[in-house]
Amino acid sequence: MSEGPNLGSLLAEHWYLARKLRSLEIHFAPERCKGLWQCYEVCPVGCWTPDYDARCVVFHHGERCIACGACVLQCPEKAIALR
Amino acid sequence: MATVFMKWLERRPADYDRGIRLLTLGRLEAMQQRIVEDLIQRGTRVLEIGCGTGALTVAMAKAGAKVSAIDISPGMLAEAAKRIEEENVKEYVDLQRLDAVMIDELFIPQSFDLIVSSLALSEMTERGRRYILKAARKLLAADGRLVVLDEVRPASMGARLLFTIVRAPLQFLTWLLTRTTTHPLVDFEGVLSHSGFDWDVLSTELAGSLRLYLAIPGDQEESEHTPEMFRGRLTGARTLRTVLIDLWTSLFRIIPPYPQVKPGVYAVGEPGRESPLLVTGNFELTVRRLVRAIEGELNIWILVVDSGGINVWCAAGGGFLTADKIIGALHISGLSEYLQHHALILPQLCANGVEGWRIREQTGWGVHWGPARADDIPDYLARGRKKTDDMRWVQFPLRDRLEMTAVTLGFYALMILIPIAIFWRTMFWPTFFAMAALSAFYAVVLPWLPGRDGLAKSLPLAMIALAGMLVYSTLWDPAAIDILFARSIGLTALSVFIAAELQGMSPLMRGEQANWGWEAVIGALLGLAYWLIPNVMGWR
Repeated sequence: MSEGPNLGSLLAEHWYLARKLRSLEIHFAPERCKGLWQCYEVCPVGCWTPDYDARCVVFHHGERCIACGACVLQCPEKAIALR
Repeated sequence: MATVFMKWLERRPADYDRGIRLLTLGRLEAMQQRIVEDLIQRGTRVLEIGCGTGALTVAMAKAGAKVSAIDISPGMLAEAAKRIEEENVKEYVDLQRLDAVMIDELFIPQSFDLIVSSLALSEMTERGRRYILKAARKLLAADGRLVVLDEVRPASMGARLLFTIVRAPLQFLTWLLTRTTTHPLVDFEGVLSHSGFDWDVLSTELAGSLRLYLAIPGDQEESEHTPEMFRGRLTGARTLRTVLIDLWTSLFRIIPPYPQVKPGVYAVGEPGRESPLLVTGNFELTVRRLVRAIEGELNIWILVVDSGGINVWCAAGGGFLTADKIIGALHISGLSEYLQHHALILPQLCANGVEGWRIREQTGWGVHWGPARADDIPDYLARGRKKTDDMRWVQFPLRDRLEMTAVTLGFYALMILIPIAIFWRTMFWPTFFAMAALSAFYAVVLPWLPGRDGLAKSLPLAMIALAGMLVYSTLWDPAAIDILFARSIGLTALSVFIAAELQGMSPLMRGEQANWGWEAVIGALLGLAYWLIPNVMGWR
């Protein structure tokens, strides 16, 4: 009917995803930031802080990042990437 | 755990095709072929609702049809696009990502000769289906026809019983292998008639459970049916039913089927045209917690969006709660005309899968990210939709840790204790108490343990316990070293497992998936030590 689930490749893929998830880092291009604060609004672990004077967010606390991707998704200016 | 769960839920298009083939025992293709042969001619203008991986789309395009195909799932669309490219029919197909209830917004009235939907209507809510049928009537040209190929639940009691019995194991197997499932249509024929269609069954398969309907708009304007906007009022009152659901979810939350609330608009308190509108998923526990947090304090509208009965964080991460679903739900809710404000408040924790700016762009509604926890909603609204950092940042306080302990215990007790009860009865209670004690211990001390994740946090302590046990027995009780060693190995394994899983239950950590790998490695090492060391040391 159809090929059965291949446990070996499933585990290998899982392991690969896990390693990748661990190594993901935020790359932020501040020059694109327009100060919409969406990343700050949605980050559940407090990686972002708004700098109201410069109208730009600041990325610190990278060590807290859980790579959920919320900030990447919410930024309409595509200033944030996770890779 | 949460991420593993999310990844596992993520339906892969290849799996989907496999699952559907399994579930329909391969009969679907033949029926799709029939649609192509009987109804498609050169130049037929087709709208395909829910094209999935594009099998039917390509077949129709090859037969000469001009196909507009929509689907809500980006994964499915990518697969469909690939297939269309491979089969070289790109110029005949227009693919779009769209919730099916939006068709009346996007397409021109009377512009299609054929509207086709294969195994898609059953994926939608009852209200969505009715809306789509109404919209389809408008989009069909003068001699236009509607074709629906879907799974239906038999009408008679006996047939339904047989259907359920035969289907249940097949459905479970398919779900395990591919995370694919379908929800057979109930009384679809009634809905068709009600929506003003004259219909006929062209063919059936699988004892009548898979049906191909051909429908044409009747002379009658659709019978008077305005979708009722409000589903009802929600209260946080406890009944026997809610207590039972609470009990189930407090232990077996991660085992499907998840208790669900029907999607739609609900009132909490006595809301009016100016009351705030909150959006949430349709996991029963999510909705009830939300209601309990605001009931008695505020009058609010809640738009419950179909998230497959999964909490918003996991549903958004797994692609079950998306911007398109929210846009669609809002579109058919009738709230645009009713409410004086146009502001949506989304749960912050669905931001990992729902693009707020896209909802803003497509609907013109203001999108606001609510607090991470439902309990903060009254405060959040009182501040004029402003969050403090405490409302924004996820915590994992003792109460939640204990709750998650119950969830992990409930699930892993099934996995670990049932085999032990069968094969190793004497170890049942010791294992049970060890699990309970370790879980309670880690739930309490977790934040103060060194290390970034649950795995790292559990390891030093487990190693100290193991070493202590060995030193103790070598110095003071050498005769019992064998049994003590065996027990401490077991305890170490359990403690690593429990601490890692507990931390993984909060959205505060990444890389739980790697933990699973490491848990397996550590388990294997402990097993090796369990077998090797007593032999080398000559204990037995």
